[in-house]
Amino acid sequence: MPEPSAYRWDNPWLRWSVIALVVLTIVTVLIGFVWLPSVHGDFTAQGLWASICRAAGVPASWSNAPSVKAAWRATDVVLDRDMTRIADKDAVGRGATLALNCTMCHGAQGVSASDAPNLAGQYPEVVIKELRDYQDGRRSSTIMEALAKGLSARDIDDLAAYYAYLPKARTSPTTYDEALPALVRVGDPLRNIAPCIACHGQVDQKLGAPWLEGMPKAYVVAQITAFRDGTRRNDPEAQMRNMVRTMTREEIDQVAAFYARKASTNPGQ
Amino acid sequence: MFLARKLVLAHFAVALVAFLGAIVLGEWQMLVRSPLHAWVNNPEHYYRSVTAHGTVMAYVLPTLIAMGFGYAVSELSLGRALVGLRWAWAGFWLVIGGTVLAAATIAAGRASVLYTFYPPMLASPVYYLGVVLVVVGSWIWVALMSINLRAWRRDHPGATVPLAMFGTLAGAYLWAWTSVGAAVEVLALILPASLGLTDTINAGLARVFFSWTLHAIVYFWLMPAYIAFYTIVPRAIGGRLYSDTMARVAFALFLVFSMPIGIHHLFADPQVGAGFKFVHAAMTAMVSVPTLLTVFTILASVEIAGRLRGGRGALGWIKALPWDNSMMLGVTFSFVMLGLGGAGGLINMSYQLNETIHNTQWVTGHFHLIFGGAIVIMYFMIAYELWPQLTGCAPLPRRLVNTQLWLWFVGMLVLSMPWHLVGLLGMPRRMAYYDYSDPALHPQAWTVTMSTLGGAVLVVSALLLVFILARALRTSGPSPSFTFSVTAHPGAATPALLNRFALWIVMMIGLTLVNYAFPIAQLASLKEASVPVIPIGSR
Repeated sequence: MPEPSAYRWDNPWLRWSVIALVVLTIVTVLIGFVWLPSVHGDFTAQGLWASICRAAGVPASWSNAPSVKAAWRATDVVLDRDMTRIADKDAVGRGATLALNCTMCHGAQGVSASDAPNLAGQYPEVVIKELRDYQDGRRSSTIMEALAKGLSARDIDDLAAYYAYLPKARTSPTTYDEALPALVRVGDPLRNIAPCIACHGQVDQKLGAPWLEGMPKAYVVAQITAFRDGTRRNDPEAQMRNMVRTMTREEIDQVAAFYARKASTNPGQ
Repeated sequence: MFLARKLVLAHFAVALVAFLGAIVLGEWQMLVRSPLHAWVNNPEHYYRSVTAHGTVMAYVLPTLIAMGFGYAVSELSLGRALVGLRWAWAGFWLVIGGTVLAAATIAAGRASVLYTFYPPMLASPVYYLGVVLVVVGSWIWVALMSINLRAWRRDHPGATVPLAMFGTLAGAYLWAWTSVGAAVEVLALILPASLGLTDTINAGLARVFFSWTLHAIVYFWLMPAYIAFYTIVPRAIGGRLYSDTMARVAFALFLVFSMPIGIHHLFADPQVGAGFKFVHAAMTAMVSVPTLLTVFTILASVEIAGRLRGGRGALGWIKALPWDNSMMLGVTFSFVMLGLGGAGGLINMSYQLNETIHNTQWVTGHFHLIFGGAIVIMYFMIAYELWPQLTGCAPLPRRLVNTQLWLWFVGMLVLSMPWHLVGLLGMPRRMAYYDYSDPALHPQAWTVTMSTLGGAVLVVSALLLVFILARALRTSGPSPSFTFSVTAHPGAATPALLNRFALWIVMMIGLTLVNYAFPIAQLASLKEASVPVIPIGSR
């Protein structure tokens, strides 16, 4: 049983434990919130209270700059997980009708014979984002901008649903061994190039990263080159531009050949 | 006396099997990123392995050891049958079930988020559920420890709680409070996102909650080792515990100070104010007090052993120590690693010095040295000490045990020292491969080979450990009675507050509120802190 005096203030163990802890806390708080900020010019510029607020992580204003200019945005599309939901049959049907407009370049089954990108099995959020970017002029193409202008938001969703519904231009499975280009498998850490398969499938398939297997080589080369030269800029946070900036012409060719090669072994599936 | 034998044995057996699996994964990770091996083709396999290694080594192994050892201490120190044996088994099966769920999800590639979770990365909800089950199982243990102490107190009014049980309860209460942080993170933030109910997550807040758990969990891991330092080591080497009061002060201080200091893990996180970072750094420094008290008390206890064996003079007692005694060897290795790791820890907790080593291999080296070295080697000693009790086996082969301890010590230093060195040179951690062909990295390549060799020695040591314990199952010997250390001043009065926990728990909770309430409230109210989730392996 506790001795009656254990939890009484006249128990010196209790008294000194509590006093020591309170003093320690007060002293460290004073040092952290008052004394240390006082030797920091930025902190003390607006007085004691402002410096305490800054030390607590809540400055009255985050910046003294007159006004922050809105940065140029790569895209107005916010990728949303809802875009990836599997659509109902009606949407696929409507999309199939609309897609008759696209067959000339993208193929009757969404697999192109004319170096336009394959759309069969493409992730819906990719189709949605690119079409909206064409509408907004964030991605440029004489043909696609004109065609996208006439599409309503629902048309775009329906098209995305239809193409997602088609079987992917997938070929026989590839073993991811040393025979593949290094940039595809492991990237190049010292040039800050992540492996393609970290986002475009195999290791992981990130939201908004397109399905690349079976893409026409000329199309992949053109897009990587456009990202590298900065003529294509609709990648949020410059993700792709930063990846490919230091890639050489040969490396681009190699990577594109890898993704296209898969198509040539068993095209149109 | 020792009715919970099967229960304790089950905890240790599962812990050791899991440990053996995880250590092989660790060595594989070292090998594939060393110059001895080509780059791993699928980096995701590397992170899968890191997640499994960390989840087992950080959650499963120490939880099972702390639980098993706690049940043993409860029976052996209180001298009465464990109350709530059925609940204890239920807790055990929860831990096993949770481990299997988490391991299966990791193996399927649906949880490569590392054991520290790192939102906005999200694993499959099954993984988090598995971890939650492990923690819930351990909460049953916390409750049982408290209930058993209460029952003992009822029968022994006014008596002093045996030191081993006092330490166990300190560890249990510490764990109960510290696991709340990660529990809130998982239940309130991660699971809703992982289940698809929300598509953003307040990553900054989640990290603050995890830091609540992340540092004090180390002291939960450490408690069994410290209990062994105080209550087993002096007896095992023929000495006396220098001061029972000092031991209790150390446990009470750990309870108060190891909890509200986790923001020192977030020094590089911009979402936390610099003032709180300083306060947490200063309080982290306070943890060195119970650590140094322990070092002093145990060294004094060891000195008593040396002098009782006829050692004379300022250093003569060191020569007189029983150096062929496994416990002597174990505690020496543990202290050397604790000293080196602790010195490194002082650098980690300093706001400015931390900048040089933050997120480098130094950190990996630090926690392997402290946990894998100083603490886990004491887990081995606990297993060796309890084994004859648990299995009725013959005394363990001393030479083999000493070899195992030497291998662990040497292996751990060879593994972790190169990490410290390259950490200072800036080598980042959590890398699946390094490009050694680059002239800037080439001169550091040998260090990774070195660590790989150190890891190989550790694997051999772990195999030897399991071999020694498994072979002992086939022997039988006299069942010795288990005793804890005797203090140098038996019968000395224990201050009433060092026989109870309420004050220390109130201080722990109060200090947590002072140190965490504002950062949590501020981040929780900050709308902009929510970021889109990144589910791993969802497609």
